[in-house]
Amino acid sequence: MYEDGRVRKVAAAGLVGGEQVVLDPPADLSIGDGEFVAMMGPSGSGKTTILNIAGGLDEPDSGRVEVAGTELTRLHGPALSAWRARHVGFVFQAFNLVPVLTAFENVMLPLLLTPLGKAERRKQAEFALDIVGLTDRMKHRPSQLSGGQEQRVAIARAIASDPDLILADEPTGDLDRSSADSVLELLGRLNKELGKTIMMVTHDAVAAERAGRVLHLDKGLLVEDARVAS
Amino acid sequence: MSRTPWLLARRHVVTHWIRTGLTLGSMAVSLFVDLPRDCQAKVAGVDEVAQVCKFQWFGGYYQDRSNFFGQFGVDPELFFEMYAKDLKIVEGPADRAPDETVHQASVRAMLADRRSTVVGSRLAKDFGWKVGDTVQIIPTIFQKVDGSAWDFLVVGIYEPLRSNVDDRTMWLRYDYLQEGLDAGTVTGPRGVGTFSVNLKPGADAAAAIDAIFENGPQRPRTTTEAAFQAAFVSMMGNVPLFVATIGGAVVFAVFFSVINTMLMAGRQRVHEVGILKALGFANSVIGRLMLGEAVVLGLVGGGLGILLAIGTESGMRAMLGTFLPNYAVQPFTLVWAAGLALLVGLVSGIAPALTLVRLRPTEAMRAEA
Repeated sequence: MYEDGRVRKVAAAGLVGGEQVVLDPPADLSIGDGEFVAMMGPSGSGKTTILNIAGGLDEPDSGRVEVAGTELTRLHGPALSAWRARHVGFVFQAFNLVPVLTAFENVMLPLLLTPLGKAERRKQAEFALDIVGLTDRMKHRPSQLSGGQEQRVAIARAIASDPDLILADEPTGDLDRSSADSVLELLGRLNKELGKTIMMVTHDAVAAERAGRVLHLDKGLLVEDARVAS
Repeated sequence: MSRTPWLLARRHVVTHWIRTGLTLGSMAVSLFVDLPRDCQAKVAGVDEVAQVCKFQWFGGYYQDRSNFFGQFGVDPELFFEMYAKDLKIVEGPADRAPDETVHQASVRAMLADRRSTVVGSRLAKDFGWKVGDTVQIIPTIFQKVDGSAWDFLVVGIYEPLRSNVDDRTMWLRYDYLQEGLDAGTVTGPRGVGTFSVNLKPGADAAAAIDAIFENGPQRPRTTTEAAFQAAFVSMMGNVPLFVATIGGAVVFAVFFSVINTMLMAGRQRVHEVGILKALGFANSVIGRLMLGEAVVLGLVGGGLGILLAIGTESGMRAMLGTFLPNYAVQPFTLVWAAGLALLVGLVSGIAPALTLVRLRPTEAMRAEA
């Protein structure tokens, strides 16, 4: 946190798993296990930065970040990568599927980082694709899928290795309303039925309504922390 | 647990097949000279020309391909007359007439038997040849239809009279080759590689001789013997250096081509690498992937080159026979080529691998897919 209050490489952001979160004074942020949290705010407000730090993609310049009992700021290099592989599933606005791989192969990717055998990995990938309703598209490449289908494959990839935390950065930003609703419904199911903790960055108020809690950020400051009535 | 997604490297090599194909390309060069026999009469018709003798490269070897030396089919009477100041036959047939020199007796013996040959003194010493011996030369150009070697009867051993004359050459009768070619028992070029021309004193016939062929299919070049010999000796003497230089230049070019390809591939992978890093793949896996792809490219290219070298060995030998009768693809060369291909692949993968490894995941994912 800089003197002007911008969240940029935040000084501290405690997050998931009931741990204490400090977004530098005055905001303390704590996200409980199994919560579905939406983060809103104008561009540059620090939403994605918080998300990236929570997922171990970026490291804060200073401060302490703790996720599910692990202090991320103490992890670096391969240890941080291994932690990410074990605990976090990412869903991005631009889907970020590997174009030369099929849907099934994309979902298989994170499973290569697990101790599972080949048969188990296949089974797990098929299960994940079944959850998102795309078992009939598993041999298609991303270019052969619609935007909504691509995002569902990305969600299948995010949940394939059964992580605790799903971080979604504007997952419906590139989708039409119908596809966006389908993706949001899926995220809601993952939260309710599988108990996944979800942090979602969005500009879409309709999307934010799916979450149980909405954080509003502005210029790096947490300006509102609202519970959404279910 | 961190497996490497080799499928990605394989898919990239296959998906970008045009890039892969272009990287694996190679090239070859060849040279031929074959003038019609009737050129001899045409050249002899030029006013300034005193004598014209055929010089046909035979391109065989004795016992083993490494026994490489010059063999020329000539018109023996003309040849020994034209080159009387250049070489002298010092050992000849025993049945010499009282008034005959050794040189004369050998020429006479050569004219009497088409199989005859006069060989250089060092050649005779190297292989233990003596006058009266029959030596077998294995052809690379003038193949006998029945697959047999050529028998030559040594009727003389010469010593050079000048320092620029080789003492490891074998002079044969051109008409011995011609006889087989005309009878269909021998295959090979039916023309003549070179004509040696003796000019009348003070004459300069180069332009006049070249004029004869001006509108013909063959455009021979007339030059002084010194210039021809310099070019020939330079070419033959420097063949290993010549080949090594070309090979080195090609390897150098291929090396930079593969590096360029891999750098380009690395740039194309930035976004993908961001995804892999976000998923939790360690930098070591990213590095292995990039190096693996480069090594696969190098080895596939090297493997194709090796297969090409093996597959074209006999054809290349026939094609280059005029100049390189001992052309052969040695096992050592293949091992060396495979090692070099591996090295080129490895080295070319280092720079892009390091670049990708150093990228932060968020920074990489911001790159265009």
